[in-house]
Amino acid sequence: MKTYLFKRLLAAIPVLFIVSTIVFFILQLTPGDPALVILGQEATVDEVEDLRQQLKLDRPIYEQYFNWLFNALQGDLGESYFMNESVIEAILSHLGPTISLGILAEIIAITLALPLGILAARRKGSVTDQSVMAFSLLGMSIPNFLLSLFLILVFSVSWRLLPVAGYAPLSDGLWEHIKFLILPAFALGTAHAALIARMTRSAMLEVLNANYIKTARAKGVKEKWVIYKHALRNAFLPILTVIGQSFLGLMGGTAIVETIFAIPGIGQLIVNGVMRRDYAIVQGAVLYVTFAFVFINLAVDMLYGIVNPQVRLDSKK
Amino acid sequence: MGGATMDKEPILEVKELKTSFRTERGKVTAVDGVSFDVFKGEILGVVGESGCGKSATAQSILRLYDEKQAIHEGEICFEGKELLSLRPSEMDKVRGNDISMIFQDPLSSLNPVFTIGNQIAEAILTHKNVSKRETYARVLELLRLTGIPAPEKRIHEYPHELSGGMRQRVMIAMALACESKVMIADEPTTALDVTIQAQIMSMIVELNQKLDMGVILITHDLGVVAEVCTRVVVMYLGQIVEEADVKSLFTRPLHPYTQGLMKSIAQLDCDRSQPLHVIKGTVPSLHQIPEGCRFAPRCPFADDLCRSKMPPLEQYGTGQKTRCWHAATISEEGEAIRA
Amino acid sequence: MTISSENIDLHAVKSALKKEQNKILFRQIMTNGSLVVGFVIIAFLMLVALFGPLLIAHDPNTMDVLNRFAAPSADHWFGTDNLGRDVLARVIYGARISMGIGVAVAIIASMAGLIVGIYSSYYKWLDHLLMRISDGIMAFPGLLLALALMAALGGRASNVVIAVSIVATPYIARVVRSEALALKEQTFVEATRALGASDTRIIWRHIAPNTLSSLIVQATFIFAEAIIVEAALSFLGAGIPPPAPSWGNILSDGKTYIYKAWWMTFFPGMTITLAIIGLNLFGDGLRDLLDPHSSKATK
Repeated sequence: MKTYLFKRLLAAIPVLFIVSTIVFFILQLTPGDPALVILGQEATVDEVEDLRQQLKLDRPIYEQYFNWLFNALQGDLGESYFMNESVIEAILSHLGPTISLGILAEIIAITLALPLGILAARRKGSVTDQSVMAFSLLGMSIPNFLLSLFLILVFSVSWRLLPVAGYAPLSDGLWEHIKFLILPAFALGTAHAALIARMTRSAMLEVLNANYIKTARAKGVKEKWVIYKHALRNAFLPILTVIGQSFLGLMGGTAIVETIFAIPGIGQLIVNGVMRRDYAIVQGAVLYVTFAFVFINLAVDMLYGIVNPQVRLDSKK
Repeated sequence: MGGATMDKEPILEVKELKTSFRTERGKVTAVDGVSFDVFKGEILGVVGESGCGKSATAQSILRLYDEKQAIHEGEICFEGKELLSLRPSEMDKVRGNDISMIFQDPLSSLNPVFTIGNQIAEAILTHKNVSKRETYARVLELLRLTGIPAPEKRIHEYPHELSGGMRQRVMIAMALACESKVMIADEPTTALDVTIQAQIMSMIVELNQKLDMGVILITHDLGVVAEVCTRVVVMYLGQIVEEADVKSLFTRPLHPYTQGLMKSIAQLDCDRSQPLHVIKGTVPSLHQIPEGCRFAPRCPFADDLCRSKMPPLEQYGTGQKTRCWHAATISEEGEAIRA
Repeated sequence: MTISSENIDLHAVKSALKKEQNKILFRQIMTNGSLVVGFVIIAFLMLVALFGPLLIAHDPNTMDVLNRFAAPSADHWFGTDNLGRDVLARVIYGARISMGIGVAVAIIASMAGLIVGIYSSYYKWLDHLLMRISDGIMAFPGLLLALALMAALGGRASNVVIAVSIVATPYIARVVRSEALALKEQTFVEATRALGASDTRIIWRHIAPNTLSSLIVQATFIFAEAIIVEAALSFLGAGIPPPAPSWGNILSDGKTYIYKAWWMTFFPGMTITLAIIGLNLFGDGLRDLLDPHSSKATK
């Protein structure tokens, strides 16, 4: 198990390297001078030059890149050009909201999707099944920012049940924290719920045709147990794959929803960073997001082994 | 040959069982008016080619089909209960408890994510309220009963960690968990190596004798039938065409289909220069069942009566039944096959 | 009776066979609900995009300041926006832009993905290189990558196409690559090579055509994603610059006035959703038709 973990982490390194390289060079191509943007239009040429030198923006590209890489490997991601904090501080302070949002969205997605998917599989071909499929199609097709607007219109503006936008950290109390996250979590979670429901349905259908289900019924096991104990355990592997992928997607796709609901998460950090040419932030945040991806992928693989003993990662007997 | 003392009263009576399925191409009747009895402690063989309805009959007895797709008619009487009219919760109590079943491919028939101990224990706990310790002891006992060595170790193993023969023993152990009165064995050895086949069959016979448990043995292998069964039922295209005790079936097969089957078995000492006997033609699809006697298109003795009217299943002598208009005349010309 | 080439009419047999195959294919297509409905929706939207401007009375950019925030009416079916522009006209012209970008991205990503995927499957060293880069691109949320690219390249429709194509290509490359890898192992490839065919010929004449069915299915979903990404980019202000009525821009305009003028959000929103539904249905139907055994939920 340990060697496998190590190998996977090792394999992740080239990916991190490539992603950071790609983003670095993309940013360099971006027109617009950070120094100018920071100081504003009235700055003199000298002042801009000074700042450029300070920020080492006048060095050749490859030198800037290696400087950055060198520092990054030592854990120093530099200072944000705009905010008064180091990149690492910025990332850490923005991490909380994104993680909360992601977890809540995933919980909503799974809670909706699993029962509906199982129901659709059990009643295959019926009106229930077709309705579930129709809803999942709709859920997958509405862009999340559109759904956000719609939710705001109904729940915040018309019915005044939930706040339009904003954020409160967990330290302000659980309900305070959650009430700002409910609408965005729904906006994000719906599309994922649709995908998970579809996969649940198709995985359950396949499993329900298996011989061991026939055996379980022949033993007199109650239908409820046949579905939840025998079938679901076996169907869970592909379902878990989709849940893992969706969680990954959540970490990234939060950008636009965070922007609409004014949630100070990583997504918003990156969007603002790109708009403001805050290179250091974008570099650092990209690195973080990529690393999170790799890590979550690994965690999901570990989970496979627990769910399905045939897939255990250590050597078989 | 198997079978302990047989009572006169049957424990399971199948009466005019019909099972039809709704398919894209219309209604298909896989089991068409099948009737037979199973007596306590006997081994009843159900023989036929693939598609003749023997598996469908077995699964219908336990009502394993999704009843939105499958329609059952007729009666199945077991210990005073009419199985086809039981509610699902009541039927659950019969399955695995009064009547159990083992299937053809033990690898796909066992749930890959649970240990075999867990699965056998489930067979017990579904029907009996027993403590964990008692269950554990009983599981070990069942594993020993079915000849699985080192049961304490095996209990924690997963199906993919066992060999084919071992897995089938586990299936049998599950079937025995509640001391059922009847065990239905649906081609239990077809998916196994020949040497293992013999072991499993002899274990089934042993259990039949020791526990006085009735067995419905579904197979296409006449050799096994000759070795093991007390009585036999031959099926063709959804119907029973002959029923007899095993000796009579092999010495004096009444139905042309049975005779054809007997002749097709290659004997060790047969004349090598002769071609193998084949029943001419192929089994028709269930969507295109012929008029009249279903075997008529392939029967060497068929005439216009056969092709227009379906013969009923009738008694001939003691304990032998056949579905043929000309059984009386054919049997005089019939050949004796050594059992 | 001996069979010789003289007493069989090859042509007759061939054409009869073809007719039978076509009949079966036709029946398969017609009974495939997803495919048909999806196709109808897409065809409808494409027709609207192409011919719509000829049929409507208003112009998407004409501002009618006296008539701002007009609710839907007989004159303005979708109402007017904050500058008095006819929303219906904007949505129709927006269809041209947004769906045009979608098609362009699907085509470009398909071509690039096909080349990358096929050559990766064939040459080991290339595979390592290209797949690492693909992994890198896919490891990062598409929208953010596209955003960064747009910032670098500047806000123009052509750049949106480039940016989104870059993000989309790895997905197609993956699909093509895995199909090609499986095909490579098949005996017909060995046989062709034994006949002396060059690598290029094997790749393009034999392997590539067989990857097309998976590729087309994937391309359909890419089309849908491209529409969404363009809308998201424009919504954030990083896409096609206003006043071009791309669907994202219309929604971006609408979000500020959502309470006052719901029609500014509702109609374009419904149109985008309809387009995506149509594409999803079509893609699903296509997948059922071409490869009924693939797992259903992955896009």
